[in-house]
Amino acid sequence: MDCGTCESAPAIEVVQPKTVDVSLTITEKAIEMLSDAFGDDRSHALLVGVLSGGCSGYMYDLQIVETTDIDCQELDISGFRVLVPNASSHLLDGIEVDYVDRLMGGGFKINNPNASSSCGCGESFA
Amino acid sequence: MGIFQIEAYVFILSGKDRWTFLDGLSTNKVDQSCTTVLTTTQAKIIDVIDVIEVGENIAIVGHGPYKEEVLRHLQPRILQQDVNIRDISSLNHVYVSTDQFPESKGMTVTQSFLGWLIVAPSSMPLNPTMSLQEFDDYRIQNLIPFQQKEINQSVHPFNCGLAQYVHEAKGCYIGQELLTRMRSRGKMGKQLMTVEKDADDATTTGSEFSLAIRRTST
Repeated sequence: MDCGTCESAPAIEVVQPKTVDVSLTITEKAIEMLSDAFGDDRSHALLVGVLSGGCSGYMYDLQIVETTDIDCQELDISGFRVLVPNASSHLLDGIEVDYVDRLMGGGFKINNPNASSSCGCGESFA
Repeated sequence: MGIFQIEAYVFILSGKDRWTFLDGLSTNKVDQSCTTVLTTTQAKIIDVIDVIEVGENIAIVGHGPYKEEVLRHLQPRILQQDVNIRDISSLNHVYVSTDQFPESKGMTVTQSFLGWLIVAPSSMPLNPTMSLQEFDDYRIQNLIPFQQKEINQSVHPFNCGLAQYVHEAKGCYIGQELLTRMRSRGKMGKQLMTVEKDADDATTTGSEFSLAIRRTST
């Protein structure tokens, strides 16, 4: 295999799903936990994304970021900046970000009406 | 030593997320050149692919007729990750050598589940020295499965002799829950085995023996 030939080969056209204007809710408990995490600093944002992988094919990706290179839509929910990548907007429209307070398996959880199935740990969905 | 030409697709994956992307979608630990399996949520095989590190890119080589299914599996999952896929199948020929093959200019050689995999530019074709029957006999002798024979979308990797490409400790990937459960309970179902030549359930028929996937007595 010649790498010269690799560079000249055309990229496979990736058919991107249509970008959706995301509607997203955050439960009171999750807002409380975000307030603890952010403090008074609202310059940062909560990035809610999706990565490939996990037991079911897609994995949620929650990050607190200042900026991102990812093409995102920005929402304001209860005073928090929430960023949702356009590339995964079709998978995230209508989700609810919740916080489950328990010793094992606790933390932020996402309830997703678009998911046909999800894995036991709740981090992955199809 | 023999060389057999196989019908294969060759993709190039580039972008900074190329390794994690592929690792999250297949059964083996993908952080270097290796063989790995793409599976469905039911742990059925989509294809067995050879991953080859090529400079700043990754080449993946799989079975030609499964190409569209693999693309349907990979493409929608790129999302916001930095991954690009290029199809260089038409620019290369792919061969299997039964013994280690010397790498020469323009040629990529890697160890595969089939033997030694050779990807050569179409402009530099090799002369195959094995017939299909000889290749099948080589596979039967070495208990090597092949796509559209033992490897198809109705079996999982443990059924068709690919257990060594299902990593025992890596994190989540599609199909992982089922495969891990099967392995931990020691219930891996039917197994690939060498059988008598004229077996009714043979998946590959050889000159002296055949391959079949059968339920074991244990």
